[in-house]
Amino acid sequence: MTEPKATGIGVIKDWILAKHESRTDVGPDEDLIENRLVDSLSFVEFVFLIQETSGVEIDLDCLGINDVRTLATIEKRFLAG
Amino acid sequence: MSIEDYYNPYQMFQWPDTLPEDMWWMSPELTTTFETEVAEELTREQLFALSRFESVNFYSLNVHGIRELLIEITERIHTDDFASASEFFHHFIGEENEHMWFFAEFCQRYGGKIYKQLRGGAETVPPGEAASLLVFARILIFEELVDHFNVRMASDERLDDTIRQINRIHHQDESRHIAFGRELVKVLFERFRSRATQEELDEVRGYLGRYLTYSFETLFNPQVYRDAGIPNPLEVRRRLLEGPRRHEFEAQVFRKTLPYLTKIGLVTHETGSAVPSVEAAQ
Repeated sequence: MTEPKATGIGVIKDWILAKHESRTDVGPDEDLIENRLVDSLSFVEFVFLIQETSGVEIDLDCLGINDVRTLATIEKRFLAG
Repeated sequence: MSIEDYYNPYQMFQWPDTLPEDMWWMSPELTTTFETEVAEELTREQLFALSRFESVNFYSLNVHGIRELLIEITERIHTDDFASASEFFHHFIGEENEHMWFFAEFCQRYGGKIYKQLRGGAETVPPGEAASLLVFARILIFEELVDHFNVRMASDERLDDTIRQINRIHHQDESRHIAFGRELVKVLFERFRSRATQEELDEVRGYLGRYLTYSFETLFNPQVYRDAGIPNPLEVRRRLLEGPRRHEFEAQVFRKTLPYLTKIGLVTHETGSAVPSVEAAQ
């Protein structure tokens, strides 16, 4: 049986896990930057993925690093409701 | 740099008030939608508009790239490790400052803005010993990518004279910078390799393989598609990056860079696997 396709925050988590094969999970409050799960070369792709997943156009001038630091923050800030 | 080569960038450009909109601002072969399904969905006017915004994005990338390289070179000039390169660095800093000025001038005059650079994420530059090597390797990759565009646009008669001139002048200086950069990267890598463990070498090679991909993908800016009036810009970007033409385009852009980095051992087929082989461009 194939796994159901991830939606919402699951898409973001899957993207991170695909880039870090040694990981099996990412905690909702885990710091993605401090733990080097998102680095300077993957950050652009990461932000575009959040935009695509949420359908929210992110104002890049106003985007703070703390807005995308954890999965919980991303969910609350861009994916809730 | 010889004295005869010197030009005054602040006086040499005419800067007409406007550039005609009903023509290419970037060689169509260099635009991200060339020979793709996306281009087939656009009118000729939309393709012209897209080339206009893509050209402003290209010069914006130059502005940001030059800012970063100036910071790095300035940190190293007249330090013990770079004593012999410092004379060159003086010319390099001077010329790059001028390039940054005319690229910014073009963006602001004809695009009304410099496209923002999205920055963030952890700095994962591998081992401390490799810091300078990676700085100069990144500068070299960036300069070679830009030069691929400059050479073609400098001689493309479909483009306005101002655009051709900017590209010609930039290419003239960059040829020297690239020649110097190649030698410097080779020396720095030989020094690093003689002391590095296999794990450190793999880390550096992996990082540069990713940097090549990252640099290429900065050409695909969703804000450009949005400004050109193309719906669903993020989807368009994804379609282009996942589409069949991407590999050929990427191989063309790095057709000189990749063989050189592979020859000196800085990129291997394994670590640079994300970047298509040179044969794909031929």
